[in-house]
Amino acid sequence: MRMTGRLTALTVGLLLLSAQWPAVAGGGFPFQRERRIRLPAAGPVHALLFDPQTREIYAAQGRRLEVYALSGARLAVQRRLAGTVSALARNGAGEIVAAVRAPAQLVFLSARTLTVEHRRVLDTGPPTALLYDRGADMLFLESRPNGSIVRVDPATGRPLGRVQLGGALGQMAGNGRGTLYVADATRDALQVIDARTMRDDGSIGLRRCRAPSGLAMDPIGRRLFVGCTNGRALIVDADLGFTFVRLPIPGGPQLRAAFAFHPWGAQGWKGGAFFAGSEAVAAIQMQAFVRYRDHGQLPLPTRCTALALAAPAGELWIALAPPPGGRAVLWALGADRSEGE
Amino acid sequence: MNRCINVLRHLVCWALLGLTALPQARAALVPWSALAGKTVLFVTGGANAPQPNDDTLVARHLRELGLRVHTVDARVSPSAAHGAALIVISSTADARVLGNKFADSSVPIFTWNTFDYPNLGMTGPVLHRDFDVIDPVQHYADSFSVLYGFGANVTSEISRAVGLRPQLFGTLYLEPQTAGWGDPGPGGTVITDFFGSRHDAGVFTYEREATLADGHTAPARRVGFYLGSDNFHLLTAVYGPAARDPNLRRWAIGLKLFDAALRWAASPPPPEPKYDPRALDAALHRAARGRKVLYVERVNGGEGRRSDAHIVAHLRRLGFTVTVADQTAPQRIARGMDLIIISGTCSKWKLANKYVDVPVPLISLEGLLSDALHFSGRDRYVDYGEHGELLESVDPPENYLDIVGAWSPMAAGLKPGLVKFTEHPGVLKWAWPLPDATVIATLPNEPREDAIFGYPKGARMADGFIAPARRALLPLDNPSYDQMTPQGKALFDAVVLWTLGR
Repeated sequence: MRMTGRLTALTVGLLLLSAQWPAVAGGGFPFQRERRIRLPAAGPVHALLFDPQTREIYAAQGRRLEVYALSGARLAVQRRLAGTVSALARNGAGEIVAAVRAPAQLVFLSARTLTVEHRRVLDTGPPTALLYDRGADMLFLESRPNGSIVRVDPATGRPLGRVQLGGALGQMAGNGRGTLYVADATRDALQVIDARTMRDDGSIGLRRCRAPSGLAMDPIGRRLFVGCTNGRALIVDADLGFTFVRLPIPGGPQLRAAFAFHPWGAQGWKGGAFFAGSEAVAAIQMQAFVRYRDHGQLPLPTRCTALALAAPAGELWIALAPPPGGRAVLWALGADRSEGE
Repeated sequence: MNRCINVLRHLVCWALLGLTALPQARAALVPWSALAGKTVLFVTGGANAPQPNDDTLVARHLRELGLRVHTVDARVSPSAAHGAALIVISSTADARVLGNKFADSSVPIFTWNTFDYPNLGMTGPVLHRDFDVIDPVQHYADSFSVLYGFGANVTSEISRAVGLRPQLFGTLYLEPQTAGWGDPGPGGTVITDFFGSRHDAGVFTYEREATLADGHTAPARRVGFYLGSDNFHLLTAVYGPAARDPNLRRWAIGLKLFDAALRWAASPPPPEPKYDPRALDAALHRAARGRKVLYVERVNGGEGRRSDAHIVAHLRRLGFTVTVADQTAPQRIARGMDLIIISGTCSKWKLANKYVDVPVPLISLEGLLSDALHFSGRDRYVDYGEHGELLESVDPPENYLDIVGAWSPMAAGLKPGLVKFTEHPGVLKWAWPLPDATVIATLPNEPREDAIFGYPKGARMADGFIAPARRALLPLDNPSYDQMTPQGKALFDAVVLWTLGR
């Protein structure tokens, strides 16, 4: 792996610790910014992915795939792929799966060295999102331009089934038991897919939610966290299709959602859902499986293009779109200990 | 051949005429389209409403149903309801400010303002006994109980619209919530209840002219609903693939129940029956043609012998074909019958469990059979009993009934209140049926001792028994028929006519 001195200087040099910056959390937002990494290349970061031990984070920016150590935010490894990487996932074997937009393909890489293990050329349209459902051992590939989702073999990338949904698809979430949910901005709904057959199983209408795009799931409580363009987060009981909580979040298109239990350890919250959009990132605290509360927002200087949450490490990472003439930035947020949660 | 066709045509005509003469169990709800554009006066707490609340969501929901919503606060003048199709009262409105201003309103009321129930006469006045609000802070454990309702009534229009079954269902979504209950008066209909007790009704109704808890009659339909101020959005429902699962669909019906109860309240009530014994007699004549009645009595049964003979004669005069059977006759004789009447001369010991499960409409003139027939529970003198029986009753002889369900065709058009049933005080039986029964009359000053009531077919009766056909109680002790007043005889005829229906 080659790492240029220029990159090292840029990444390490742009690292700042929270002690040097005043906390920017507003309204009880439970994380504070601890590190900031300005990336060397222009263009947005399309995907972030933690390693299972949450010691490193993978960032896909254009053709580049980079690995940063969480401690110190040091660039550890990088790899240049054949095309723009649109999404990342980790399969059951621990490989990194990168979806490359053009030429459309899945690239399987070793997690430590980012060595390309094998590839699978895709004829299913340009991939825009990946989801590995660990509980069901299923890998899904979304193509927004095509409005389709393909289930592929998580080890080889071989297509196993496809569903054509149409419309503007957003994030996917799996329940670990063979059901896939997809945010559908065109129909203000969640599409429900029987992942074993890749059959469209109908949709869950989302009242008073416009153009949902962000989606995350709590597979234990079977709750779906939906981010809506009109500034509402909906919490939907996946079994009943019933929306039982509506909370304010930042609006705007292409929201990103993430959920984790105990986002900073067993003593902290029971669970947390986070929504990032064009203006801010919002926190929703899970107090119980049936009780949630709005826990504030943190303003963002530019649009969030990727979001990753590492519960064991208590880290929330946000990729920010480059400002005009600038470069993309990663924010690493850590628990705001001053809040005493 | 032509003669055969003519005879057949004749028979069909008479059968149709007979059917049209028979009263339905309940009138159908009007479709939503018929309510589109109707005005709803939505009474809320306005600026003083507790926060958070769901009044805005409710108003939006009402508009989505096609209604025009005029939102006012509790200080509104009662005259504001003029022209409205429905008054909807939120629990955010201060019941003390509301007072009884809408109690006499001839506009139907749908309310989840539990503390306002007594103001409207829908329950008694005593908190915790007649009504209550379960608060998840003050009554944490109980607040879990009110997440589940029970389908106490499965035959009302609301119950049918919802597909309510005699089983538990989810009311509010999972999290302990505020919910209210009320114990309705004698003319009330409990649709759902909490805690396994019909006294703790989550949803209950009064038909127009039904007797309220305070003794007045409802000037228009009234509905009490269990909702709290801020949990409309948690009324259960299923969406998406879950809606295809019948078990989930029957469990999560909170919102459906709200909508059905609202629609019932806004639907026009059935026309008020008029007391017209001649018209009733004519209707019974039409209904009787071609119909067979099994009259079960203690043949040669002592003091009731003459009364039995006169009842049979009356039925035959009406046009029924009457078969008289002794109480010991086997049940199979009921086959092919259109109506079974069990005389007060029958002995419970000899009749045993006969006719309980026969899918033929049945009237019992003997209240003490109520436990065996699943009309009521089994605790004698608590679930059923009698007034005026020497040694067996502490209550004096009685000859009046209190009409509490004047709206029903079973009430023969008699006005609410006391009616002289027999000329002289004597024995009168009673029972306390389950909420699926329509109660027509109670004994005076005994709102829980129901003398005349009927269960529609499919109704939930005692012990989980489902009525295989209509069932009714009419309390005629052995010799009483001959002592009946004209009003009493009209009640007899009206009960026969109703029970023959489907």
